[in-house]
Amino acid sequence: MIEDLAFIGQIAVKSSIAVLLATLGEIITERSGVLNLGVEGMMLAGALCGMAAGVITGNPFAAAAAGALAGGLLALVHAFFAVTLKVNQVLSGLALTILGMGLTSFLGRPLIGVRPGVRLRSIPIPGLSDIPLIGDIFFEQSLLAYLAYLLVPLCWYLLYRTGAGLKIRAAGEDAAAVDAAGIDVFRIRYLCTFIGGIGAGLAGAYLSLSYTPGWKESMTGGQGWVAIAMVIFATWNPLRAVIGAFLFGFLTALQFYFQAVGMELIPAYILKMLPYVLTILVMVVVHAGPGRRFGGPAALGIPFSREG
Amino acid sequence: MAWRIEKRTLSGARAPWWVFPAALLFAVFVGALIFVGLGVNPLAAYAAMLKGSVGSFFHFSEVVVRAIPLMLTGLAVALAATMLLWNIGCEGQLVWGGICAAGTGLFLAPHLPPVLVIPVTIVAGAAGGALWALIPGLLKAFLNVNEILTSLLLNYIAIIFMEHLYFGPWRNPEGFGFPGTAQINDLARIPHFFGTRIHFGLVLALVLAALIYGGLRYSRWGYRVRAIGLNPRAARYAGFSIRRQIVGVMLLSGALAGIAGMAEVSGIHFRLQQGLAVGYGYDGIIVAWLARLNPLAVPLTALLLGALIVGGEQLQSLLHLPASISMVLEAVLLFGLLLSETLARYRLVRRPDAPDRSAAEKETAP
Amino acid sequence: MTVSPPPALALEKISKRFGDVVANRAISWSLPAGRIYALLGENGAGKSTLMSILSGRYQPDEGTIRLNGRPVRFQSPAQALEQGVGMVYQRFMLVEPLTVTENILLRRGPVSRARSREARAIRKLAGRYGLAVDPEATVRDLSMGERQRVEILKLLHRQADILIFDEPTAVLTQTEIESLFAIFQRLKTEGKTVIFITHKLEEVMAVADDIAVMRRGRMVSQLAADKVRSQHDLARLMVGREVILNVDKPPMSIGAPVLTVRGLTGPGGTARPSFRNISFDVRQGEVFTLTGVAGNGQEDLVAALAGITSLAKGSVTFKSRRYSAAGWRNRPAAGMAYIPEDRDRVGSIAAFSLVENFLLTRLAEGKRSPLLNWPQVADETANAMKRFTIRGSGMQGLAGHLSGGNLQKLILAREFSRKPDLLIAEQPTQGLDVQATEDVWQALLRQRQTSAILLVTGDLKEALSLSDRIAVMFRGEILDIVSARDTADIDRIKLLMAGLGAR
Repeated sequence: MIEDLAFIGQIAVKSSIAVLLATLGEIITERSGVLNLGVEGMMLAGALCGMAAGVITGNPFAAAAAGALAGGLLALVHAFFAVTLKVNQVLSGLALTILGMGLTSFLGRPLIGVRPGVRLRSIPIPGLSDIPLIGDIFFEQSLLAYLAYLLVPLCWYLLYRTGAGLKIRAAGEDAAAVDAAGIDVFRIRYLCTFIGGIGAGLAGAYLSLSYTPGWKESMTGGQGWVAIAMVIFATWNPLRAVIGAFLFGFLTALQFYFQAVGMELIPAYILKMLPYVLTILVMVVVHAGPGRRFGGPAALGIPFSREG
Repeated sequence: MAWRIEKRTLSGARAPWWVFPAALLFAVFVGALIFVGLGVNPLAAYAAMLKGSVGSFFHFSEVVVRAIPLMLTGLAVALAATMLLWNIGCEGQLVWGGICAAGTGLFLAPHLPPVLVIPVTIVAGAAGGALWALIPGLLKAFLNVNEILTSLLLNYIAIIFMEHLYFGPWRNPEGFGFPGTAQINDLARIPHFFGTRIHFGLVLALVLAALIYGGLRYSRWGYRVRAIGLNPRAARYAGFSIRRQIVGVMLLSGALAGIAGMAEVSGIHFRLQQGLAVGYGYDGIIVAWLARLNPLAVPLTALLLGALIVGGEQLQSLLHLPASISMVLEAVLLFGLLLSETLARYRLVRRPDAPDRSAAEKETAP
Repeated sequence: MTVSPPPALALEKISKRFGDVVANRAISWSLPAGRIYALLGENGAGKSTLMSILSGRYQPDEGTIRLNGRPVRFQSPAQALEQGVGMVYQRFMLVEPLTVTENILLRRGPVSRARSREARAIRKLAGRYGLAVDPEATVRDLSMGERQRVEILKLLHRQADILIFDEPTAVLTQTEIESLFAIFQRLKTEGKTVIFITHKLEEVMAVADDIAVMRRGRMVSQLAADKVRSQHDLARLMVGREVILNVDKPPMSIGAPVLTVRGLTGPGGTARPSFRNISFDVRQGEVFTLTGVAGNGQEDLVAALAGITSLAKGSVTFKSRRYSAAGWRNRPAAGMAYIPEDRDRVGSIAAFSLVENFLLTRLAEGKRSPLLNWPQVADETANAMKRFTIRGSGMQGLAGHLSGGNLQKLILAREFSRKPDLLIAEQPTQGLDVQATEDVWQALLRQRQTSAILLVTGDLKEALSLSDRIAVMFRGEILDIVSARDTADIDRIKLLMAGLGAR
């Protein structure tokens, strides 16, 4: 029984890391007032570039960095359109996703079936991994997973305890006020969009370097969209993002578990649907109930321009 | 006299004529760069695409076939967007249209009078899509929940459910392990034209495009939709029930996407199988935007996108380039459109150097 | 021989245009330090534009700004603030979910997070200038007067020497206005220069040292306050010709009440409702005016009467039918027309043509056919344009291209054509030039034959010119209803608007 729980838990955490990384990045982006629907495309780019860099260099750090950078660069394209040109952010993000899907599809062909140059295996943390159950679940993961663990409190600290975070949150609530205070709203939004791209890129790199590993077309399977939904689930708070990501991972793990043991307590398709259903439910609660206060940044998706 | 660049003072007004052609030019140019980067002569590549899409009657008929679901989803998105609603859920609504059409064709058809089978199928497809769009519509109208994300998430739910159906309870027992349902009843197949794969869905799409255009321009309902889309505050002042309109438009939008799904199942696949959810819903967004939300232009931009897709497949067989290039071109076209729309927000004017008009006057000519 | 130091601030031939509109034309102004300046002018005179240029929000097309003799160029409000020039806008630039301290600290460059130290520094600053506010309070919970103080603190924290205020008293109560003027004096004592924009003559006389008057984009006069003989003189400078206080108002027989409201109270929840216990009636053929300083509840009361928001308590009797507070919102649409204050963003749709706009509030009338008869609407629009002399670029031109006056006349024509029993007109001549104002007044007075008119305005001149009876609102209540004909009552109105003299 315990082994089963450990098995499920371990896979749950494994399956949650990509969503977690992308969600953290998107939280920062949206907090500054920019809606980036291109996460799926950026994740794919990160997966492909991470894998390619891994094959070329064989160096795990270079591979992860390459993936992160790929996501970041694509995000800058979105930032240019959304922040500087002030176009409709929904369209720009969607175009980015399509671009990402198309580009990775045809650039990635030579890499299909290729052996990954880098495999981020699970590394147990000495001492912590010996804790019964918890140790197996949380502390026998890959390096990128541990990075994700660290990024959660880091993001929280950034947003709520630093001057930079104050500016970011203010820019997402009332860009005019921030501009009047002499702060460069455009720079903040560019930076935060870039960070969001880094998060999505890292998430993709995690998938191709650790989770799958390897490159397959459309290997992100919609996790980019899940991440966008998880931002709302988490009410734009990095700490709560963990819950959402873990929930997604847990449901994914249950699917594997039922397959592995050959029984189906809950039908597979219901398990697959649950993350999306739950996200919709959370959206309803957040908007309707006393959670009215938890609504997103007031300026989300609205471009800022000063007249004259 | 000096030339200056000034911001146009009126937003929401008709955009200048050059916006779309400029976007097209941009896409062609960037596409050429991409081909060069791949070591291919861009002229040869574009020629291959043209040949593959309009080079023969058969090829063009394939373009039309591809364009039919795009016309419908494009109409769905354009209608919703006229009222500032983002229906990103066309993919899921299309799937539900397909599910309902397949269900009708498989299980209901034998029990219906033959002449009713197709009409019922069409209604079922429309209803399936409409009801699926009702969810984000109600949530938006009454709880102000963002419809972009709800309709998007529902896509995944719909696709998962459809796969469950044709892998599971609806699976064809004589399918040789191939996932998918049995073929629908012959009576449920919609008619085809010219000996090609072009099906009745084309007629539906064109008629609906005309109806929606006419409705928006000449009906009370259409006036309300346009008013809310241009200025919700004024619409509220005028006493329009925004909630009712949101629900109504989403239902109609979903119905259009549902018909697209129905047409694919009843006109192309003749069963429920893989290959229904291939992105027509998302492409509809591009089609709608390229058409600047004008229902009469939607069939044209749908044809353009269809040509792009079919042309892309030609690239694969003739020049051994991956078909996904057309996806990249699609994205570039969309970016090009965003760029030229931005440019359209400014205008080049000639100004006398010294100001000579009183501040209280305002130009009345556009 | 002494050389006088250059003035703290000097504007030389500043010009600015937006599209086809020239907002500022060759403005020159010299301001020595340590005085309180009033920048006076009607709506649309260009005052806000000029100050926005000074505060760095806009860049002038031509001209120079000099600080202490040195020419400067501000690319942004932040740069201006670095040089010591800051502005308090009408719409406060505060981030609601953050605290006072966080808002004050929000600035370019590294922001310290040592909250307690900063809070103490802010408290000291506030004390020095007499600005009472709690540094730990969330901005969302503050009153307008308190928020304004936070804005002032923001500027002082950054060591601004020149503080500009754009219509600072528009959102304040009388007590808060007096506090503000005291703050101005304090600032002056500390050597700061204060510029405030206003169109209210009493304020100018109350607190300014020097007055600058703008009209239609130009600076027409600069004078010391003690040289001004009467408000009438100032008014003439602002408007440019003798202010007509009386319009030709033919007598009208007044009939039975069309609208009777008793005990209306707005929704408030835990906060105080914005209007309480409102009772009055509007009679056939009469012009009944609701007036008061902006922000005393008139806007919310009108929105509730127009059915846009809800009523919590009270009853409304309209055309002899009685409605409860809850039932009023569901009343049938016919019989009542509402002309909103915001003609561009609420009363019309800028991207619709004139013909399409003419239909906006009339969609429910006529035969119940689902199709629209555009030719007929076009005819009606053409007739209206003739009758009301609406000048534009044709019926199919966009409403957004009409001037304010023509747009307002279009809206009037539309609402009049509905033949309403009750017409609610909210600030109908705001922002219009004198000719358009006269046109609108004439149209309203003519309409008395068909409708009872409820006029809502903050413009006392307008109220006195048009009304039969005037109700003055203060802090959400009607202090009194006076007759517009009785001269003794007219003086009382000014007192009532300040909250005094209620019987």
